[in-house]
Amino acid sequence: MATELALELIIENVDAGYGAVRALQGVSLRVANGETAALLGTNGNGKSTLMKCVMGMVRPTRGTIRLDIDGVTHDLSRLSTEEIVNIGVAMVPEGRRLFPRLTVEENLLLGAYRPLARADIAKNIGFCYEAFPLLLERRRQLAGSMSGGQQQMLAIARALMSAPRLLLVDEPSVGLAPILVSQTISKIRELKDRYGLTVLMAEQNFHQAIRIADRGYIIVHGEIVFDGSVGELEQNDLVKNYYLGATA
Amino acid sequence: MDLLLDAVIFGLLLGCFYAAVSVGLTVAFGLLDVPHIAHPAFLVLGAYCTWLLNGYGLDPIVAGIVLMPAFMALGMAVYRFYYETFERRGSDAGLRGLAFFFGVVFIIEVGLILLFGVDQRLVEAAYIGKSLDIGDTRLPLRMLVAFAMALILTAGLALYLSKTFTGRAIKAVAQDETALRLMGANPVRIKQWAFGIATAVTGLAGALLIIIGPVEPTIDRVYIGRTFCVVVLAGLGSMSGTLLAGIILGISESIVLTMLGASWAPAVSFGLLLVMLGIRPQGLFGR
Repeated sequence: MATELALELIIENVDAGYGAVRALQGVSLRVANGETAALLGTNGNGKSTLMKCVMGMVRPTRGTIRLDIDGVTHDLSRLSTEEIVNIGVAMVPEGRRLFPRLTVEENLLLGAYRPLARADIAKNIGFCYEAFPLLLERRRQLAGSMSGGQQQMLAIARALMSAPRLLLVDEPSVGLAPILVSQTISKIRELKDRYGLTVLMAEQNFHQAIRIADRGYIIVHGEIVFDGSVGELEQNDLVKNYYLGATA
Repeated sequence: MDLLLDAVIFGLLLGCFYAAVSVGLTVAFGLLDVPHIAHPAFLVLGAYCTWLLNGYGLDPIVAGIVLMPAFMALGMAVYRFYYETFERRGSDAGLRGLAFFFGVVFIIEVGLILLFGVDQRLVEAAYIGKSLDIGDTRLPLRMLVAFAMALILTAGLALYLSKTFTGRAIKAVAQDETALRLMGANPVRIKQWAFGIATAVTGLAGALLIIIGPVEPTIDRVYIGRTFCVVVLAGLGSMSGTLLAGIILGISESIVLTMLGASWAPAVSFGLLLVMLGIRPQGLFGR
């Protein structure tokens, strides 16, 4: 008896802001099952605000954010962050936000806090150590004493410990050396394939993001100015001129 | 020489007792960052409740265990009130929190004086007043009982914090509340629960306080230096550190008491606190 496993994130007409500052205006976006969507744009255009809206950390003033999982529809704009995590959404936050004075292993175990993830904790921690052998080596080390690249790996592993269906990754490249950015992005792709995840990634590094994305959304001043497949994205003039640095 | 050996052995027992009266503060101040200066007042409240129950013939240790759920509820209520009125409202919560907990101290002290007067209170149990003689060393049984309870309490709490999901969330909550939320835990509920546990443990430690010796309503003032000394010496939030720091304080006090006399003993805790803050502010086991 096969059950239809499907997931779709649907964001429609979302406005959001901080006090008088409007950070998002009429943003609509869709992430389909098994897709990797890249939310592209430079700093201060609203990428992180949109991610926070999906996680229930910023409330939209207008519009809807829906998540359909296996035939059940959740209205994310009404749920708390904890409830959203519990239905199977995990986020790797900007700046990683590890627990610096806890060990690597304690950080991973906290990742499995949601009740559904607790049952498979031994299996999942095994997977994490297999995917990131360095974390196994350093499992007794304090998270705060590791390098930026290692911390990013730990942040991704910690998010995976909750056995999510939808993974949000906010600016994985920030503060990393170019070689590490490339490794991190490849790792996200590898893990996505392995766990059958659906991924929404906010990133300002175009070249790296479109390596693994199926679909791209470009956000400028809180509005989506382009959306399409990665192929279309690469052919678009605006993108060529502004983001890929092509010369006419 | 014998005198010194006796002092060290007595100090070891006393030190474990100091650890037991401090573990609640290790959680509240060390892990949650709550400036809980009412901790010793809760200890005295626990001692008085034990005394009341002992009046009905209940063994003080049993009384202390019976008190734990009530103290848990009290702690959760106090934290909720503190959170709604102070912590939620701003960045200078530390200083205003001190004022809040100072108020709590005042209410408890005055309440106890109004209800029971300023007289010293004692409890009765089979093990109080007897002692175990090993060679020339005389070990009061009440100290041994407190010693055993202290070890059980510290070990139990350490296990809870490292082996359970809630325990690990308690260790993490003050480090990054937003990140904890992203793990699926509600930071306010975690803190409230943790403060409840800290208070429950303090209730039981209050029973040990009145087993060790007579208690009067303002004895908390002697314990404020000792408990904060132990928690800072340990390194904020470390359970094994709390036990070791308690033993260091116990042995130091006991030696000073034997060599220099009783009037010097209260200076030991503040002295150790200052030395520690000067040379290693993160404490012995600080991370």
